Order: sequence, then structure tokens, then C-alpha cells
Amino acid sequence: MTLGMVFLILAALALAGFFLGRGRALAVAGGDARRLHSLPSYFGWQAVLFLALPALGLTALAAFGGVLRHPATGWVALGLGVIGMGAALWNTGTEVRARNIVETCVKGLLILSSFIAIATTLGIVLSMLFETGQFFRQYQWTDFFFGTVWQPNFRGGSDLGILPLLWGTLYISVIALLVAVPIGLFAAIYMSEYAGPKFRSFAKPAIEMLAGIPTIVYGLFALITVGPMLRDYFAQPLGLGTSASSVMTAGLVMGVMIIPFVSSLSDDIINAVPQSLRDGSLGLGATQSETIRLVVLPAALPGIVGAVLLAASRAVGETMIVVLGAGAAAKLSLNPFEAMTTMTVKIVSQLTGDTDFAAPETLVAFALGLTLFVFTLGLNVLALYIVRKYREQYE
Amino acid sequence: MNVMRQTDDATATAEIKIAAKGVQVYYGDNHAIKDVDVDIADRTVTAFIGPSGCGKSTFLRCLNRMNDTIDICRVEGKITLDGEDIYDKRVDPVQLRAKVGMVFQKPNPFPKSIYDNVAYGPRIHGLARGKAELDEIVENSLRRAALWGEVKDRLNAPGTGLSGGQQQRLCIARAVATSPEVLLMDEPCSALDPIATAQVEELIDELRSRFAVVIVTHSMQQAARVSQKTAFFHLGNLVEFGETGQIFTNPRDPRTESYITGRIG
Amino acid sequence: MTAKTSLLTPDARTKRRNAAEARFRLYGLIAVAVAVIALAGLLVSIFGNGSSAFRQTTLHLEIPLPEDKLDKSGTRDLEVMKKVTTIGYAKVLANALEAQLDAQGISVEGLKSKDISKFLSEEAPATLRNQVLEDPSLVGQKITLELLVGGRIDGYYKGRVTRETALLDKNVSTAQLDLADALKEMGLLHTSFNWGFVTAPDASEKRPEAAGLGVAIIGSFYMMIVVLALALPIGVATAVYLEEFAPKNRFTDIIEVNISNLAAVPSIVFGILGLAAFINFAGLPQSAPIVGGLVLTLMTLPRIIIPARAALKAVPPSIRAAALGVGASKMQSVFHHVLPLAAPGILTGMIIGLAQALGETAPLLLIGMVAFVRDYPGAPMEGFFDPATALPVQIYNWTQRADPAFVERASGAIIVLLIFLLAMNAVAILLRRKFERRW
Repeated sequence: MTLGMVFLILAALALAGFFLGRGRALAVAGGDARRLHSLPSYFGWQAVLFLALPALGLTALAAFGGVLRHPATGWVALGLGVIGMGAALWNTGTEVRARNIVETCVKGLLILSSFIAIATTLGIVLSMLFETGQFFRQYQWTDFFFGTVWQPNFRGGSDLGILPLLWGTLYISVIALLVAVPIGLFAAIYMSEYAGPKFRSFAKPAIEMLAGIPTIVYGLFALITVGPMLRDYFAQPLGLGTSASSVMTAGLVMGVMIIPFVSSLSDDIINAVPQSLRDGSLGLGATQSETIRLVVLPAALPGIVGAVLLAASRAVGETMIVVLGAGAAAKLSLNPFEAMTTMTVKIVSQLTGDTDFAAPETLVAFALGLTLFVFTLGLNVLALYIVRKYREQYE
Repeated sequence: MNVMRQTDDATATAEIKIAAKGVQVYYGDNHAIKDVDVDIADRTVTAFIGPSGCGKSTFLRCLNRMNDTIDICRVEGKITLDGEDIYDKRVDPVQLRAKVGMVFQKPNPFPKSIYDNVAYGPRIHGLARGKAELDEIVENSLRRAALWGEVKDRLNAPGTGLSGGQQQRLCIARAVATSPEVLLMDEPCSALDPIATAQVEELIDELRSRFAVVIVTHSMQQAARVSQKTAFFHLGNLVEFGETGQIFTNPRDPRTESYITGRIG
Repeated sequence: MTAKTSLLTPDARTKRRNAAEARFRLYGLIAVAVAVIALAGLLVSIFGNGSSAFRQTTLHLEIPLPEDKLDKSGTRDLEVMKKVTTIGYAKVLANALEAQLDAQGISVEGLKSKDISKFLSEEAPATLRNQVLEDPSLVGQKITLELLVGGRIDGYYKGRVTRETALLDKNVSTAQLDLADALKEMGLLHTSFNWGFVTAPDASEKRPEAAGLGVAIIGSFYMMIVVLALALPIGVATAVYLEEFAPKNRFTDIIEVNISNLAAVPSIVFGILGLAAFINFAGLPQSAPIVGGLVLTLMTLPRIIIPARAALKAVPPSIRAAALGVGASKMQSVFHHVLPLAAPGILTGMIIGLAQALGETAPLLLIGMVAFVRDYPGAPMEGFFDPATALPVQIYNWTQRADPAFVERASGAIIVLLIFLLAMNAVAILLRRKFERRW
């Protein structure tokens, strides 16, 4: 029996169960719903829940046990469901509190759902910790964290030092922030303090559109347009390199990607500064820019720092732009027109293609992933803390 | 047209600082101020009273062009400061506001130190030549706002840490620090407790010796206590303007009488 | 203090300050302009490179199907006929083209027979072979087909290949271009809308002209179904629990902080999770839409929960109080009153989350969606377990190929992707406009 069939049968059973449950309740009450503790439809829902919960629960378990597509899975699931539904139909009477049963089940489901977020985090941490442990059993952790050479070799004897990757990651992120923070901040200031409604109604969606564009699109833009342009007009004339993929290419394009991120967060934060402070400053004869520079921005500073940290975490974790724009060579160099690489690029390259999950060359990707996760988590927690503190100040 | 004209001869003794003639204010389609004429005398406290929504605050904000910051607001008529039209194209509102300071309804100290709050105006207008001179301005302003004694030991503490009454006096010190010629106060005591209110009222009386003070208040008692002249606004009209004593004891317009006896408002 | 100054003449300091004001304002304007220009540059670059992917040059060719080449036995037995490979059909095509040239009296200087056989796409013989195997009775007759020409000839009509580049390119000769011009003049060579680009599966490195997005669109569609089916109920349930039922305690705090952090975890980390949990641990197949859908579900969940909570929070407490006041249970007040009122906001957040998931690439790379897949996945639910690829991954895949014609394909695929995203966001905006309610 195929999985699709199982689901179809389950749906049909659920429909039947609802009407059966409701009908039985009405029959027990002699057609007078007022004699029941709960509305008849709750008996119907009781039947549906008692059918679906065991059947779907088993399917989910089977999926994680790797036997989802085993032919027996479907039969067992259906069998359990029918038993459950039978129990529900048997549990019908004028004194039965079907509504309370249904509501308890639903509340349980709601709680279960909110556990999924926790489970996801746990899953991320555990899976990466486990594989990273495997990695450090085969590779010295000091060599990983302090090694300056990255040279994986699938025949063994690789150098897997994280420093060149960390350098590339930070270099590109810094360039991206140097582009995005001033532009995003000034754009936010202009939009919230100067722009008229007409200008805003055109420019704001345009900037927000930058945020809706998938990163693969930015990656391609870096690869086919920005990279060659930088090479032909800057790197080659200046004698700085001949590579289209470079730190500069990835940094600039990533900067553009982060602009809306910085600007929309800053916009919120600037708008949270009370109007009375602006009035106070303007009333003393300050110009608008003096008011912004001397009163609004200092008041908004913590929030803006938080926004920049969130943007930095975005930049550090960004993958597609660097995969397509930065290159694959792990290097410790200062020249921004040289191709360098990042942690995310190496995660992709070590985990795609033929992978051997016993080799340190593959497992290192998990160590990189864990480093990246801890790094971005630190930035996020700090940023969220600062932003939250800032919001409280004006509430 | 307004029924009421200024009739009293006592004002003639003080120099006219601000003269408003035929002022109209529109918020979009809403005609908020209708043809108001008022003369504000120097070294006098003028109170604007009236029920809420009568336009008294709106009119106050016209006097230093704070209404410019609201896009849909349009002002017509003529307002002069020392005979110069403040709505003239050549007038820079920034310069105007340095001369006509403003204190707001809710205390709004900047999230900076007490010192920086007071020094803000002198700094942007370049009033002090050096640190010593700035210190002097700050001290004098705080003294004038009757706050010096309370804060002289903690000038670097944040202004937002003061009590409500102290914050409002800090805002007055901040406004005084730019050496304005006129001080506009928009219900400066509405957010304060009675003791703080009394302190601020006392302060207003002292400020009269140096500035023309215009105060908007919803409290008739306050107007009676602090002002020499009172203007009564109703539904965007200036109903009556005259000596405070006369307005409260012998109002000429029946609407004024109704308001001060508590029948409208 | 200084002597009385007139308001009508600004002093030097005021002039300086106003100049600073104007400069500051200009910086802001420049910042907005830079952002808008960057957007315009991006779109122009993508549309400039990609719009030609929607047009394709084909050759209208009359092909005699000789029995001695295609079915020597004469039995029309499929098993026997399958022994003739595409190489055999390529020869038939070359002969047909040569014959047509002779018949029309077209002669091109320096045209070698190799040029003629390479004129058509490598995909063309396969097309013909499929056609014949589908209907063996065609053998011995004459049929006419619209056949793909080679990528370089196609590029010639899209400005990618010129006579100058042809001299340096061993894959195309100027004689072939002359031939193309001659055929075009005869009306045999057309450029028309490229349906194959949207419906056909991917093609190998050497035949960019045949590469299409069919499998990728189905794969992406399947993943979106999975995301919708899982993320919507789970996300709404979580939001409802946290907003309506959860007690204010440490544990709830942890869940909340955890959700806002998950929203900012780099997407590639979810790919690692998918690889470790769904493929290595649970043993689900690689490259399958179900795995992609699960990974994207986990990634999208926090991005749905946050707006859903905001939408629930926006429903005024008086509504809850009113329902409880007439004796509804807490659960009834939520499901009968609060949830329906919050539904437009929740749906809008859902669509935007779905749009983000549709464009996500990095996590899919790690769960094997980069594989070269030419077979369409089956119908749901079984099809969810068949290998497929996804739109953004297909784009990435094409950027990794050498032939410059794939740049056009990748850009064209982005246009398709952007159209989908635009449509989804438009729906979200419409929903918001139509149902937005201010309390």
C-alpha cells in the first residue's frame, strides 16, 4: 500500500468517524442534544482525533525510524487509527465530557507544536556536536582552530586549519557592513525624517524588494556582472589581480543584500524615538540634521548597534553569494581583489559530491558548521538582548 | 471676526514683543484658528486659556513656527517679532526659534547628562567661546530655573533620572540657555504634581523679569496665579483678551463667563 | 550678548548650519539612490542576460525516415528498433538537412559535412528517435519536425555568438552561420517562444539549448506543498499556544528566545541538520523533495510563528472577554473568534515565509538536490520521495557549467523564480489590503 493511499483512506475514515461520532451521540441522547454534556460535534471530533493521533504519530515515528515506506507501516497505522476511533465511538454517553477530552487533546497538540522549535535547536546542536566529536577524534583540535593552512586531501594528510576561512569570512563581512551600514542607515534616516509620502511610497518598496530577492540571484549577479566589472575596471588596471571572484565582489554584493536589513531595522528604531525629543530639539532652534545627529541617533544608538550585529550575523552566515562570488581558494591575504573563501563555502564543498562520513575531510564541515552556529548565535543573542533593552527604555 | 478687541490701556506701558494680525491656521481642510489678533507684551506673562481643542496650543506653536514640522499645516496672516514678519520667506525658522524658545507639555529631557541638556542650545548656536563660558551659561541657566542647588553636584548624571518637576525645570533651563527673548510654554505643569507645579509657577513669575512669557494652560487658577494678561480661546476663535484680573472678575463675553464659571469646557 | 540681530538676514553661522543641513540631506538621498540603483542594476543584469532564454531557434525540417537505416528487419518490432541509437538518427537528420539544402539550391562556401551534422542540437536526434519509437509506422514515410539547432547557432540570433567569436570557437564555424542565415532567409529557421525551457528537464553540459526547468519546478512545487502542509498547522499551533495559553514562566521564555534565535540561524546550518537528521539518521533518500520540504519547514517555522503571534496579539482582548463572558471555553474563544480574526495576518506571514523558502538554496545543496536529474518525479505522495531538483538549485547548477549559454539559462531561470516570488508577494499584499483591520 502506498503512502498516498494510506492518507486517502485516513481522510475518508476521518470524515466517516466525524459523522458516526456525532450521530451516535445524538442517538444516545434520543435526538435531544440538550441532554448531552457536550455538543454532538465534539463527539465527532473526538472520533477524528482518536483516529488521526495514533495513525499520524506512528507515521512520524516510522519516518524517523527509516521504515516510512515499508508496506507494513501503512497497515499498522490504519489499524491503530481504527482501534482508536472505535474506542472514541464506544466512549459516548450523556455524561461523557467530549468537549473537555477534545480540548485537552488539542491543547496537547499545541504544546507539542511549540516543542518543535526547541527540538530543532537541539537537533542542530546535537547532530553537529556528535559529528564534530568524531572529527576531533581524528584531527587535533588545536590544528583546526589555530592552523593557518587549509588544504583538504581526500587521500589523507590534509591540513584543515580554520583561520584562512575565518579570515575570508570576516573580511567579506566587514566590507559588506561597510557598504550596508552607512547606506542603510542614511536611507532609513532620509525615509523617516525627510522624504515626502510620494517619494516614500516609491523608494520604500524598492528597498524592501532587495530583501525579497533570493540570495542565489545576488550570487549570479556577483558572478556575471559585478565580478567581471571589478576585474576589468579596478583590479587589472591597478595591477591587483586578475580574478573575477574576489573578496570585494562578494563583499559589495552582500552589502547590497544587507542594505534593506539595516534600513528597515534602523527605521523601526528611529521611529521609536519619541517625537517629544525631536520637538524639544527643534524648539531650541536646532536644524533637522542637528536634531538627528545630536538627539535622535544617540538616543537610538543601542538599537542601531543591535541592528548592525544582526546584519553582521547575516553576513557571516551567508552562503550563495560567497559560493558564487568569492572563490574557493583559502588564503590569508590583505588584497581585497584576490579570491578568498569562507566557512560556508567550505561547508558546501566538503558536503556535496562524493562524501565519506568517516573521513575528517567530510567531518570537518560539521566542525565548521558548529563554529558558524556558535558565532552567529552569539551575535544574535547579544543583538536581541540590546534591542530588547532598547525597546523597554521607550515603553 | 472676533467680537473681542483688546481694550485695556495697561498694556501700553509694556513694549509689544509679538504682534499677531488676522492669523488663520488650517490642518488640511480643518480651519483650526480663525482670524486671531493678539499682541504679546514684553516682560509680561500672557496666558492662553480655553477648553481643550480650542486651538490655544496650535496658536502657540505658530509663534515660533513649530507648526512647520507638520506637513499638512498651513498658516496665514501676519505675526511679527519686534516688527519683523516671522513668516517672511527670508526668515530661517532655526534663527527664529533661538529667539523664541519653547517648553513642552511633557518634560522631554534628552537622554544625555544634565550638563549636556542645558549646553545643547548654546552649543548648536555657538553662544559660548570656550569651556569656561559654557560652564557659566549652564550654571546661570540652571540657577534661573531654580534647579542649580539640586543638581550642581551631579551635572553629569542623566537628565532622564530626575523627578518630573525637576525634569520640567531642566527643560526650562535648557530653553533659557539660548538667551531667548520670548519663552513659549505649552501646558508646562500638566504632567506635574501640585508641589512641582507650585515651583514651576514661581519660576515663571521670576522669568517675567527678563522675557516675554506665553503660557498655555487648561487650569484657570493657574492662569489667574501667574499671568498678567489672559486670552480666552473657543473653537478656534479668540473670544476675549485683556488684563487677567478683568477677565476673571468681569468678563465681557458671555462665553468667557460660561467658561470661567465652569459651564463649558 | 551680541546686539540685536534681524531675523531677515541670516548670520554667517546660520548659513553654515544650513549648508550642513543640505549636505546631510543629500547624503540621505544618495544612500536611497544607491540602493535603488543597485536594485535596478541587478534586475537589468538578470533580465538582460536571461530574457533570451525564453526564445529558442528551431529548424523546420522535412525528414525522410529510411527503413534500411531505422528498421532493417522491417518488422517494426520496438525491441529491434531500439537498437538503433541516437547516432543512427543523427545521420538520418544530417542527410535530411543536406537533401533539403540541395533541393532548395542553397550552397554555402566552405561548408563541410561535419558542419551540417553539428548544425542541429545533440538533442534533435533524441527527439526524432522518441517520435519514431512512439509510432513505428512512421518509418518509410516523410515527416516534418521543428528541431532544436545547436546552442551556438541559437546564440548567433541572441547576439551571444558573432562572426568574430566564431573564428576563435572550435564549436562553430562561420560557414555554419552563413548556412543559418541562408536557412533563415528561406523561412526554415524560426525563433519562437521557448516552452521547452519551462517544461523540459535539465540537459547535459553539451546541450544547453535543450536544458529546461520542468523537473526543478515540480521539485520546488512538491517542497512547497510539504512546507505548507507542515509549517502552517505547526506554526499556527505554536503561535496560538504561546500567545493564548502558555503560562508566563521560564520555560515559555526559553521557547520564545529560542524561536527568535532560530529565525536568525544561517540557512546552511539547517542544511547540515537535514543531512545529519533526515538522511544519515532517518535514512530518507537524498535529492528527495520530502527532505527538502522538511528542511525548509524547520527553517520557515520561526518566520511564520513571529508574524502569526503579531497577528494574534493585534486582536483586542475585548473579543476574548466577550466570548468568555457568554460561557465559551478558552479553546472555543480562540478557535471561534480570535483565530478567524487573525487569519489574514497569519496567511500573509505564511505566504511571505513560503516565498522565502522557495528562493532558498544553500540548505538544499547539502541534501543532494544538486544531482543531475532528468526524470520527472512521480505523482504525490510517492513522488515526494523521488529524486528531483529545485528552482534555485537548478540555477546554481547551471552557473557551474562551462558553456556560456548556461549563463542565459540561469538568468532565465531566475526570471521564472522572480515571477513566482512576485506573484506570491502580490497575493500577500492583496490579502493585507483586503482584510487589514484597525482596532
